[in-house]
Amino acid sequence: MSIAHEFNYERPQNLHSVLELKDSYRNKAFIYAGGTDLVVNIKEGLVKPELLIDIKDLAELHKLCLDNGTLYIGASVTFTELIDTEFVKQACPMLHDACKTVASTGVRSRATLAGNICSAVPSLDSATPLLCYQAVVHCANTEGVRNIPISEWFLAPRKTAIKDNEMVTGISLKIPKETSTSVYLKLGRYGGEDLAQAGWGIWMNTANQYRIAHCALAPIPSRAALIEALLNGKELSQELIEAAVALIPNEINPITDIRSSKEYRLHVSGVMLKRGLLAAKDRLEGKEIEPAKLLGGIA
Amino acid sequence: MKEYTYIGKDVVRIDGLEKISGAAIYGDDIDFGANLLHAELVSSTEAHAIIKSIDISEALKVKGVYKIFTGKDFPYKFGLYMKDRFIFAQDKVRFVGEQIAAVVARNPGAAKRAAALIKVEYEPLPAVLDQMQALADGATLLHPDLENYPHVPWFFPKPGTNIAHWRKTRKGDMKGGFNEADFILEDTYTVPRYAHCAIETHVAIGKFDYSGRLTVWSSSQSPHTQRHLFAEALGLGHKDVRVIAPHVGGGFGGKAGVTMEIIPAALATKLKGYAVKLRYSREQEFINTYQRLGVVAKLKMGVTKEGRITALDHKIYWDAGAYVEYGANVVNAVGLSAIGPYRIDNISIDSVCVYTNLPPGGAYRGFGYSEMLFGLESHVTRVANELGIDQIEFRRKNAIKVGDTTAYGAKMNPNGLLECIDKVVKAIDWGNKPAPTNPNTVIGNGFSLFWKAPAMPPNASSSAFLKFNEDASINLIISGMDIGQGYQTVMAQIAAEILSVPPSKIRVETPDTDRNPYEWQTVASHITWSSGNAVKKAAIDAREQILSLVQRVFNLPLEELYLEDEAVKCTQDPSFNLPLKSFVVDGIMTKDGTFKGGPINARGMFMPEFSSANGDPETSQGGHPNVHYTVGAAALTLEIDKDTGKMRVLKTALAIDAGKALNPDLVRGQITGGMLQGLATVLYEDMRYDSKGKLLNPNFTDYKIPTAMDVPDEIIPIIVEVPQPDGPFGARGIGEHTMLPAAPMVANAVEDALGLRIKSMPITAEKVAMAYLASKKQ
Amino acid sequence: MKEISFVLNNEERSVSVEANEVLLDVLREKLGVKSPKCGCERGDCGACTVLLDGKAVRSCLVLAIEVENHRITTVEGISAEKLSALQEAFIQFNAFQCGYCAPGIILAVTELLLQHPHPSLEQIKESMAGNLCRCTGYSPIFDAIMALTKVEQHADAAENVTSQDQHPALPNVEGK
Repeated sequence: MSIAHEFNYERPQNLHSVLELKDSYRNKAFIYAGGTDLVVNIKEGLVKPELLIDIKDLAELHKLCLDNGTLYIGASVTFTELIDTEFVKQACPMLHDACKTVASTGVRSRATLAGNICSAVPSLDSATPLLCYQAVVHCANTEGVRNIPISEWFLAPRKTAIKDNEMVTGISLKIPKETSTSVYLKLGRYGGEDLAQAGWGIWMNTANQYRIAHCALAPIPSRAALIEALLNGKELSQELIEAAVALIPNEINPITDIRSSKEYRLHVSGVMLKRGLLAAKDRLEGKEIEPAKLLGGIA
Repeated sequence: MKEYTYIGKDVVRIDGLEKISGAAIYGDDIDFGANLLHAELVSSTEAHAIIKSIDISEALKVKGVYKIFTGKDFPYKFGLYMKDRFIFAQDKVRFVGEQIAAVVARNPGAAKRAAALIKVEYEPLPAVLDQMQALADGATLLHPDLENYPHVPWFFPKPGTNIAHWRKTRKGDMKGGFNEADFILEDTYTVPRYAHCAIETHVAIGKFDYSGRLTVWSSSQSPHTQRHLFAEALGLGHKDVRVIAPHVGGGFGGKAGVTMEIIPAALATKLKGYAVKLRYSREQEFINTYQRLGVVAKLKMGVTKEGRITALDHKIYWDAGAYVEYGANVVNAVGLSAIGPYRIDNISIDSVCVYTNLPPGGAYRGFGYSEMLFGLESHVTRVANELGIDQIEFRRKNAIKVGDTTAYGAKMNPNGLLECIDKVVKAIDWGNKPAPTNPNTVIGNGFSLFWKAPAMPPNASSSAFLKFNEDASINLIISGMDIGQGYQTVMAQIAAEILSVPPSKIRVETPDTDRNPYEWQTVASHITWSSGNAVKKAAIDAREQILSLVQRVFNLPLEELYLEDEAVKCTQDPSFNLPLKSFVVDGIMTKDGTFKGGPINARGMFMPEFSSANGDPETSQGGHPNVHYTVGAAALTLEIDKDTGKMRVLKTALAIDAGKALNPDLVRGQITGGMLQGLATVLYEDMRYDSKGKLLNPNFTDYKIPTAMDVPDEIIPIIVEVPQPDGPFGARGIGEHTMLPAAPMVANAVEDALGLRIKSMPITAEKVAMAYLASKKQ
Repeated sequence: MKEISFVLNNEERSVSVEANEVLLDVLREKLGVKSPKCGCERGDCGACTVLLDGKAVRSCLVLAIEVENHRITTVEGISAEKLSALQEAFIQFNAFQCGYCAPGIILAVTELLLQHPHPSLEQIKESMAGNLCRCTGYSPIFDAIMALTKVEQHADAAENVTSQDQHPALPNVEGK
């Protein structure tokens, strides 16, 4: 399909130019990196930009590093690059798990984490590690930078805290110093790529601290505060897990849509939380787990 | 048994190099130069409405727009078996997505921008969105003038209702049969609509040149049928209509007959000198091409306690959509065959084709048999279990055998159904189950038989031309379509076997109706059988020309001459060896310097002259509507996660009686491909409509077709060969059949594993998990 | 309209494009390269897969204007002299039917084999999970790739891809 809508394209060579363009075009300009969401949205008439600003020539936005307990992911770093980077997997297993569930290789080789969080769909897999690792979204405009905690980033379905003259330059995650691990479980309708029917991310450490986040189960991806409060400080046990599962109806607010009924989302969330907690514990104990296979259906 | 050189061998496909090197040309790949125009459609947003006005004024202002057409430009009806469609909606729209107008522009972007500016004003009418609602008293009629629609004589519409066709089949004494029964099971099964999802969307280009001839390039399973319908609908002579069919990027029935191709064909007639192209987007592919029909099936089966089926009452109500010109024949075919591969003396079948305000139903791999077998083979398992008889034994006991009578009274063809059952039982290790891989899962085994006959008019025919080239290579000129099944390769093997020329020296091209001889359509899994017979006859014709020439020139007895290794040889004279390339074009030089013979050009034709659609309208007895049935059996081992409902096929086996597998590897390829397509229809595919008749999932994001991650761990393809007496080398078709058993065997495996009977497709993980949860709470 | 230059199948090409033209359309309509196919236009089916600097990407979602100075490889590019060992295996194993998805799958697997000459079945599935094939049921494709890559002498199954394609730009990675 050719794109019926017409727009201009710029490929600035420095960040300043990007921000100047963004400042003058405001919401008529879109930052273009992977384009895997944006081009579809333009084709389908969901957005009608006047200008696309390609940021792929800017080396500073293509930075991926782990320094002093901070994992920094530049705006043009792709999912494939995240998956293929060993220190990402080591530092943040849940992010590695979640990235592997996003679309398929041919999309992941272009799609970026920054672009992904800008889409702010309720089913955003990558939101759960960002929520659990207390990420900060770095935004910039011609005035300066603004660091937005991920907990304040998602405002509503497809709506974020970014302003119309800002762009995301990168995302930082806090990697805890103590021994911890994490896992992301995603339920889809079949073995291939799918938007999540439900997603649960679980982080825990050896001191029995827990951070839990979910996606596709509420208007925005969220932390599960009630469940975390119940679990914190306690050793996992059958009873504790059952008690956590019992809190799910108070924690999530799923809807019925084309992918799943509300009832199935509620039911399966209990299964996912239970298996996710056990898998995280296994990982913490050094056992190999395969998150994709934990919910059944795949060889 | 005779040892063949090429028949029955895993000959490598002759279209491989072309398709794998990127050389193969599909419809969208053809260049038409600067005079190509692009069409974009305006589609109905209403399921049922009167069109009050169409305002094209804003659209005409868009730069690059050439012309805009609406229904008033083309007041012609068309249809394959029943003429109930228009090229564009006339006064009314009958489904969301129906074409109302077309913008023709210099580039696709302009066409699209302009189409979005056309304003259609509707006066909504009540819409009927399912077949049971459409059958109710007082339901809105979709086609009040149904009585005036021309149709084939074997259709029985009921004017004044939404019933477009009602196939009744009656045999024996049904009441007596149920009286005789010790046990009767009655239940209802439902199947939703499905989409073909060929990866290539529909595309067609029409060109009406200044001399007044129409050429249409189209991605099609039916070039000759298209030519015929274009000529009829547009009032042109057949010689002035030419359909060129390049490679097809998947068919599955979706490119059979005529759907959107008539639009560029019709547009072209008003755009003399230009070529006009219409390529469907994926969304259009989902909302305005044929779909597989939805089904509500009410089954009542009576059995003796020994396990003999005494009576079957099978009522099938089809959601056939807004136009049924092709879909009604799905209904007809199943109405003749809804006993399944069983011998049953007392039968009543009602197969009812119902108009609804949803997209037109049509051919889809399996042609209604998948939908019918979901209910029947679920029911058979349940009946056997209720009786306490092993379901395999029950199937064996009632399996139809050669010489038994079918539902419409004709004799069943030779078949290897029992052998298929035995081989599947062995391959799947029926009766044993592997241990679950973890505590959350349970294992179930499921079984199903299947059968299907080609659904064709009694005079559907095939033909072939064959010409030799100087080097004894061959151009085999035929008009079936290689839609992926390997047709070209298998036809080359048939000619190769007769003429002793290797398939690699035979070129088969996609057809052009000007140059290639008649073929009805590439549908119904009949092409190996029907076109194969025509090719075989053409090859025999060529052989006879060759041998009689050699006999004439060399004075050798005809009965001593034969072909081997691309040469004519003589049984009585081992030294006689005349290479074909020495004479098949140039002729044979004699002593006086004259030449005898000349280019070898041959022909073959096949029509099943025994077939007849003249059954009694009230009973279907008396005709011979089906040429033969292909049968088989399949089973699978399914692992189910009880809590998430997610399912994994650990192992599946499918045995099919191919009569003779002309190319076993291609048969195995049909089995692996058809099996996955069938499993997808039961495990996750599903067309979902909202309460206004709008499709909610017109894309691959939410209409899921299987990926590489969704392949069963092990697929065991099994070929059984009980020859078809009138098939080429004994072959019959197998292409559609490989997806038929998937749905019922999954349903049967779910029950085996969890004790839950799911009677509606698809059987998604969600459905299984929620049913299991409910059963635990009881 | 802007004139861009890039390396297409080892040949420097120049073409004028509008900002809103996607690479798939420019390859097909302006540069005569027809093997990338259009199947869904939104990145779901993979029929339009091409290699961009050695990485399999969806050409229906890449703007043509941005490939200036990059390398694009399609099946025409890897078939120019002779078929690659992977392509030969596809033919020998009847690993295609209608053929429409084949160019995309071949490129996706070519990328895999550049990185993993001896992939596991799981890696093969993963690499082509975004390429839909409605005909084959995928099994014959797995068989072809497994048979090819377990044989030592065919380790370089993606042999027809030039060495420049094998070193795509990596992110500026600093691990500690």
